Amino acid sequence: MPAVRVRGLGLISSYGVGLAAAVEGLRAGRPGITPLTLFSLPFQNEIRVNQFDHGGFPPGEESAVAMLVTAAREALAGSGLDAAALKEAALVVGSSGFLFAGEAEYRLHYQRSGAPSAPLLRAPGHVSQQLAERLGLEGPVLTLSTACSSSANALLVAADFLKRGEARHALVLGAEGLSAISLTGFHSLMLLDPEGCRPFDRERRGMQLGEAIGAVLLEIAESSSRDTGASLLGGRSRHPASRDTGASLLGGANLCDIHHVTSAAPDGSAMREVMEQALADAGLEPHDIVLIKAHGTGSADNDTAEAAAMRALWGARLPPFTAIKRYLGHTLGACGAVELAALLGCLRAGFVPPAAGFSAVDPELRLSPLTATLSAPRGPVLYNYFGFGGNYASLVVTHG
Amino acid sequence: MAEFGVYIHAAAALGPCGDTTRTERRALTADPPPFEYKELVKRVVGVPLRQASHLVELAAIGSQLCLKRLATPAPEDTAVYVGTGLGEVRKTNSLFYQVMPPGPGLASPFDFINAANNMAAFYAAKLGNFRARNLTVTQEEFSFEWALRLAVEDLKRGRFRQALVGGVDEHAPPRLNHMRRIALAPEQIIGEGGGWLVLSRAADRAIGEIVAVEDLPPGRSPVELLNKRLAHWRQEHEPVVLLPGFRLPRDEAAALRAAFPGFALENYLDWCGCFHTAAAFGLAALLDEPPPAPRLYVHLNRRPAGHWMLVAARSWPGPRSS
Repeated sequence: MPAVRVRGLGLISSYGVGLAAAVEGLRAGRPGITPLTLFSLPFQNEIRVNQFDHGGFPPGEESAVAMLVTAAREALAGSGLDAAALKEAALVVGSSGFLFAGEAEYRLHYQRSGAPSAPLLRAPGHVSQQLAERLGLEGPVLTLSTACSSSANALLVAADFLKRGEARHALVLGAEGLSAISLTGFHSLMLLDPEGCRPFDRERRGMQLGEAIGAVLLEIAESSSRDTGASLLGGRSRHPASRDTGASLLGGANLCDIHHVTSAAPDGSAMREVMEQALADAGLEPHDIVLIKAHGTGSADNDTAEAAAMRALWGARLPPFTAIKRYLGHTLGACGAVELAALLGCLRAGFVPPAAGFSAVDPELRLSPLTATLSAPRGPVLYNYFGFGGNYASLVVTHG
Repeated sequence: MAEFGVYIHAAAALGPCGDTTRTERRALTADPPPFEYKELVKRVVGVPLRQASHLVELAAIGSQLCLKRLATPAPEDTAVYVGTGLGEVRKTNSLFYQVMPPGPGLASPFDFINAANNMAAFYAAKLGNFRARNLTVTQEEFSFEWALRLAVEDLKRGRFRQALVGGVDEHAPPRLNHMRRIALAPEQIIGEGGGWLVLSRAADRAIGEIVAVEDLPPGRSPVELLNKRLAHWRQEHEPVVLLPGFRLPRDEAAALRAAFPGFALENYLDWCGCFHTAAAFGLAALLDEPPPAPRLYVHLNRRPAGHWMLVAARSWPGPRSS
């Protein structure tokens, strides 16, 4: 089976535009968390978020396409491929639904007219189609909306396109902007930690939401072997954070935990199963994994179930694991591509960031994530993403 | 890697007047009035779904109708693929009025949970007790076609034994707003509902088969492609029925028929109205009715920018046995 290689990466995050800015922030251990200033909410002072400067993007609905184009162009530029090579590339976008774009358009109208208007609420795929047209991509375009696993599933679907020979390249984007509706919704569910998220910590109280756009350009390798870490491009780039990644998507899985619409099976059985399926798809055993990027939202139920799943699968031989939502925020449907891009950037730079926000072991969880920076281990890394509606995805990616 | 055929084991369509069979359907001459599905949910699903959204009700009815038409219950590892162009538009609309200026600025937790676009797929899986792959595709007028394509490819490669595939969308009045959301012409009737198929790698007891799901880049003629493909798809003397999607104006549909004078044309939109996943309704409604002899259905739709998608499915006179 030919390998699916990561040819380019792009990221807009609370650290700014570009993957390098995020890698620098994670290396410094500096969470990109701030008070919310993008818009007003009744509980404004009770939350912290990860937001970026929207000043460089057009106002209203158009902002979403412009942000996606920016992240995509970083990944495409980093790949060294020309427009002709990408014309028939597939575009697969994962997002919870571009609510932020509809809200931006509504606010724009409200500011201009001083009166409420009927929200337009376009189809999520509308933004993806506009992006394809803007980038001149004529291959298949599709959008997946599976809550917080959206762009992780987009990576799996894109990899399938490549393996079936339906495209030579696939551009995957995970996109999420801060949304008043999402913030108020999670606030009403009492799932936001006013201190910022503390994944797997004894005192954890919930999530911190963030916004980011992640772009991952995949390609099918010429080689018939599984990844060895050697880049197809050869040589080193002037932009090591985004070019010549040397990474490959070895496999992955997606399944539905039907326990409850918003909470995981407490014994972690479905999470364990999706991890096992991802490993099987990659042709690996649990002991082959050198690092786990946990979903690690900092919410009581999710971390309990994920910890139970990891304990059940690895027992006493659990590899190091980290969680990076304290740095980037929980970017919901975008986190699949965003956290993959960010962690690949860190691994490429030679380090694994610790799980910021964690300070004390929860006796119920009996697990401790990384508390100090680790040198990047070589080998397959497991990436977990778990969403509402029991939609779970795990990816296995090696980084050279 | 070995490839499997993909067979249809059950089909069910739900129209905008709560219609689930041909005898219940009537031709629409205007947007159908809002239909209250709660009783139908109780009748089909067996239990009320108290906090479910309108879209989830549509999905629950359609998916359960389809599953109940199976000769044997679907296994737990049945994968679920749902296409929905707009997703949870009514719940999201409601949240806008709760949260956005002028306020009050706080969201109902139930509305928020129900506004997630994958709730229809979650409920389809939960009601069916399915714990396998679960994907929601939201790609405007091709949402169902892509959901079907992903399911077919996974089945062909043996990733799953069985899949439940649906297309579902809801109408969120007022008309003018909804017309803008899906870019309809003023004379087009707005509908809602959807269609569901159970697909399997096993031919035994199947009622038909998926022949192809293809996308066609801009600049290529669907007539030319159909001419080429039909040489492989069509069995000798097999009747072919063309189903034009809602993006094809009547004159374009007529031109298509003129290019294939021997084929029948099925204007299924007369029954269900226009919505992003109307293709699911059209195909499922026809596949749910055994023809007197094998019949090939070809659904065609396109984006305004020129991309086309084609679905070819064959219906058999009755379940096949091995």
